[in-house]
Amino acid sequence: MSIRIRDLVHRYQGFELRVPALDFPSAALTAIVGPNGAGKTTLLKCLSGILPSPRGSVFVEGRDLATLPEAARARKLAYVPQEHSSAFNYAIIDFVLMGRTAYVPLFATPSDDDTAAAMEALDYVGLARYAGRAYTQLSSGERRLVLIARALAQDADSLVLDEPTTFLDPKHETGLMDLVRKLAVEKKKTVLVTLHNLDAAVRYSDMLVFLKEGRVVSAGRPAEILSADLLERVYDIPMSILEHAGRKFIVR
Amino acid sequence: MTRTQRVLRGLIVIFPFAAFFVSLFIGSWHIPVKDIVKTLLSPVFPSLASGFPDPEGYVNTVFSVRLPRLILAMTVGASLSVSGAALQALFKNPLVNEFILGISSGAAFGASLSLVFLGAAFPPQIAAFAFAVAAVLIVLSISRKSDSPIISLLLTGVITSAFFSALLSLVEYFASPYALQALFNWLMGSMSWPGWHELVVALPLMGVGVAVLILMRWRLNALSMSDEEARAMGVNLRRDKILVIGLATLMTAAATSVAGIIGWVGLLIPHLVRMMVGVDNRRVVPLSAALGACYLVLADDLARSLASFELPVGIFTSLIGIPFFIVLLRKSKKVWL
Repeated sequence: MSIRIRDLVHRYQGFELRVPALDFPSAALTAIVGPNGAGKTTLLKCLSGILPSPRGSVFVEGRDLATLPEAARARKLAYVPQEHSSAFNYAIIDFVLMGRTAYVPLFATPSDDDTAAAMEALDYVGLARYAGRAYTQLSSGERRLVLIARALAQDADSLVLDEPTTFLDPKHETGLMDLVRKLAVEKKKTVLVTLHNLDAAVRYSDMLVFLKEGRVVSAGRPAEILSADLLERVYDIPMSILEHAGRKFIVR
Repeated sequence: MTRTQRVLRGLIVIFPFAAFFVSLFIGSWHIPVKDIVKTLLSPVFPSLASGFPDPEGYVNTVFSVRLPRLILAMTVGASLSVSGAALQALFKNPLVNEFILGISSGAAFGASLSLVFLGAAFPPQIAAFAFAVAAVLIVLSISRKSDSPIISLLLTGVITSAFFSALLSLVEYFASPYALQALFNWLMGSMSWPGWHELVVALPLMGVGVAVLILMRWRLNALSMSDEEARAMGVNLRRDKILVIGLATLMTAAATSVAGIIGWVGLLIPHLVRMMVGVDNRRVVPLSAALGACYLVLADDLARSLASFELPVGIFTSLIGIPFFIVLLRKSKKVWL
């Protein structure tokens, strides 16, 4: 278990996220699902050090996240935001290179090794040919890939992605989820991802976590926990599960 | 980096050296080119100065008037440009500058307070720095509580600058006519050499600020990302922000206390550099230092050679900077907020 949660409580403006215990399997893909406002993004931000987590509540590879210095934490765990916007239009390679921040001292510039690592990450997501282009010249699907490449350049064993497929068409959504799956299977990364598309969550994940109103309703292997009753409890609307060609589909 | 960008980068690097030598010849007293070169070399080879019609005068003009003034103009220009570039990256907005953050007006008020009430013998840098820090703290503490940090930063900056300008007027009102004249000349910005003893503090401060921010140049890229992204990438945000804002405040306060208010350099120069070589701060910060240094030297050349008497250089940087900036803004067609 490379990421463990024990008694995590985060309060913000009347909202309370409370997770007594949750373990995420290593080298596997965990999908976090639930209705809007369930606390999915808050949970991810607590895990990736963006929001402060109390001492003794989040452990990455056995180390307490609250006591890890920023750079050390970033070398263990990388975060992929849903979107990026900036007033400065960086070249793609310079953008991906920023993923090496945790390895470059404050008063230094990246070495050739850092540039090679960034190039390799860009190549892995299939965008090496765009290295010299500007970020704004890319389509929204390509931008998501560049954000993933930047996180890959960070060379952390755990990757946390916040709704990476939102606003993508079916083709790009499938391509992106295939890539995210590959990160867990091929690169042996511990991948945590929040998703709105339940079918994708069921199809791609090794573990599913259902969140509602800041609480974990259910967590486990999709085949074991998925039921129409659970879905209705989480989303407050009736849903059924159909099976076709050995795969489960959720129908509203 | 494209070919054009490489060429432009090369030009920006050569530019300060050219500006340096050209400016050494400009002055009310005409000294031939070869004599300037000989005078520059005379401390090492004293025999070179023997053929001059007025050896003492040449040496004095070059070493006590022109060279120090050039060094001051270059350091101030580099400081204002580098602190501008760094603040723009840190606040993720290319329109942020030392004026918006209230640094300039705070420093101007502090320095004038010191000049008027403590006298010219007391170094004005101390009060300049203290009030520059106060202004930044006021701006940051008010704007951080807002949901739209950039707009509130710009608004609080304007308000804080107005507040310190009012305080400055108050100081002017109470100043004696003699002190007022000195204060007035100083406020409009001038490179007239205040003397070595007043610069022993300011020059090293500006030099250290430029050097440290150039060393930090790549980190500024990560700092220009959203706070969430920067933190996730392993940036110690609190430490790095304090460092950049602290250095920029220190440099601007030091520059303002020796040269007065020099407007638009910190906004114009980094903008120009980004248009020429792209937004990567590994290039933007050092090239802003180079271009800023020669911009101020050339503005100062204009200020002291256009009329038979010296004009305030701060007026020139604004008169050149503002129209130029309007052109840049229209060309870039981008909304910054």
